[in-house]
Amino acid sequence: MSAVAAEWIKLRSLRSTWWALGAGVSLALALTVLGASTVIARWDPDRTADQAAMGIVVAVYVGVVLAQLPLGMLGTMAVSGEHASGMIDTTFVAVPSRARVLLAKAAVLSGVAAGASLLIAVPGYLFGRLVAARFHPSALPAAAWTVIAGGTLMIVVTTLVGLALGAVLRNGAAAVAALAAIVLVLPFVARTLPWGEPVNRFLPTYPALQLIEQAPDIMPVWAAFTVLGAWGVVPLLAAVAVVSAQPPRLE
Amino acid sequence: MIEVTGLTRRFRRALAVDGLSFTVRPGRITGFLGPNGAGKTTTMRLLLGLDEPTAGRATVNGLPYRKLSRPLTQVGALLDATAVQGGRRAEQHLWWLARSNGISRARVGALLELVGLGHAAGRRVGGFSLGMKQRLGLAAALLGDPGVLVLDEPANGLDPEGVRWMRDLLKSLAAEGRTVLVSSHLISEMAVTADHLVVVARGRLRADAALAELVRPGTSLEEAFLGLVAGSAP
Repeated sequence: MSAVAAEWIKLRSLRSTWWALGAGVSLALALTVLGASTVIARWDPDRTADQAAMGIVVAVYVGVVLAQLPLGMLGTMAVSGEHASGMIDTTFVAVPSRARVLLAKAAVLSGVAAGASLLIAVPGYLFGRLVAARFHPSALPAAAWTVIAGGTLMIVVTTLVGLALGAVLRNGAAAVAALAAIVLVLPFVARTLPWGEPVNRFLPTYPALQLIEQAPDIMPVWAAFTVLGAWGVVPLLAAVAVVSAQPPRLE
Repeated sequence: MIEVTGLTRRFRRALAVDGLSFTVRPGRITGFLGPNGAGKTTTMRLLLGLDEPTAGRATVNGLPYRKLSRPLTQVGALLDATAVQGGRRAEQHLWWLARSNGISRARVGALLELVGLGHAAGRRVGGFSLGMKQRLGLAAALLGDPGVLVLDEPANGLDPEGVRWMRDLLKSLAAEGRTVLVSSHLISEMAVTADHLVVVARGRLRADAALAELVRPGTSLEEAFLGLVAGSAP
C-alpha cells in the first residue's frame, strides 16, 4: 500500500496531471452540455420517463469518449516522464520491485480515471435532467447501468493501456502515438474494411462504443465487457513482464 | 557493509566491470576512485539493483539490494542528482520517497534544514542549481537514516563552501559508524575526504588500501593514482 500512496503523491504533485485532467474533464463537459441540449431538443414528445432517463445517460457518456485521450496521455506520462528525467532510477531504488511500481501506478491511475468519469457524468446527468425536465425522467433505469459501467471501464482501460505503452516504450511521444493508433486509428480503419467487423470485436474501442450505445450491437453485452476488461488487464501484465525482465540499459 | 564479489557487467562487447571484488566497511569513508569510464557508476548501479550483473554479486548487509525490505532505511543512494522531475517541489519529492518506505513525513523538514534547503522546501526543483540538486539528493539519501551510503560524485556542482560542508557531513556520518562509499574522479578532494580507497580502471580493481598506504611520504595521491591507472587509457 505504501507504494500506491507514494505514486499518488507523485501524480498529484505534478502540474501536468492537473492540466491533463482539467483539459479532459472540461472538454468532455462542454461536449456533453452541447450534445445533450441538441439531442433532447429533438426528442419525440411521447418519450417515456425511462426512455428520457436512458437518453440523458447515453448523451452524458459521449463526453467521456472525448476525455479518453487526455487521460490516456496521463497514463503514459506517469511513467514516460520518469524515464525522460531519469527519476525512474530513484523510484526503483526506493521500490525495487518493478511489478509493484507499475501496479501501484495502475491502481492510482484507475482511481483517477474513474473519478474523472464521475466528474463528467454527474454534472452532465444533472444538466441533462434540467434540460429534459418536461419528460419527467425517472432516476436510472436498469439499462443505464450498462452504459455507466461500460463508459467508466472504457476510460479506465484507455488510461491503463497508456500506462502499459509508456512503461514498455519509455518514450512519451511514441507511447501516445501507439495509444492513438489502438484507440482511434485501427477501429476507424477496421470500420472501412469489409472484414473489419471481426477485427473490431477484439479492439477496445468498438466494445466500449457498443456498451455506451454509440454503435450498433455486434456482440453480446458480456462479450463486450470481457474484451474491454481484457484490454485493461493483458497489456498491463505484459508490461509488468517486460519491465521485470529489465532489458539492460546500453551505455 | 557492502560486499562486491567477482562482479562483472558486459555491455555488448565491452566489459564495463570486470571481475571486481572489494568490501566497504563501516565507520570510515571509502573513496571509489577511477578515471572516466572506469566502471564506477556501473558498479554502483549493480549494487543498487538498477542493473543485473553478467556474473558475480554485490550485497548490502549480506543481501542483494532487491531483497532488502524498506531499502531506504538501510541504504541511502545518490546517483544522478539532476534526475528529478522539475515540476515537483523539493518537499514533495521527499514526501513520496518517505511514503514509499514507511518513513515519517516529519523527517522531511528536518533533512531539508540539514542540507541547507530549508528556505527552498516549497520551491520547484526545476529552478534549482546543480549544487541545490546535490543537496536535495543528499537529503533523499539520508531520509531513511540508513546505515549504508552510496554516493556518486556528490560534490559535483557544489561551491567551495559546499564542498567543505559535504566533506564534514560525510566525516560525521562515518564517525557515527555508517558505511560510506563515495565515488569521485577528483583526486584532491578524495585525498582530504577518504580514509580508504578503492581504485578501479577499465572495470578492474587497481588498489584497495588505506589512504596512508597509497600516499608515501614525499608523494601525492595524484602521483600514486596516475601510477595505478597507468596504461588503462582505452
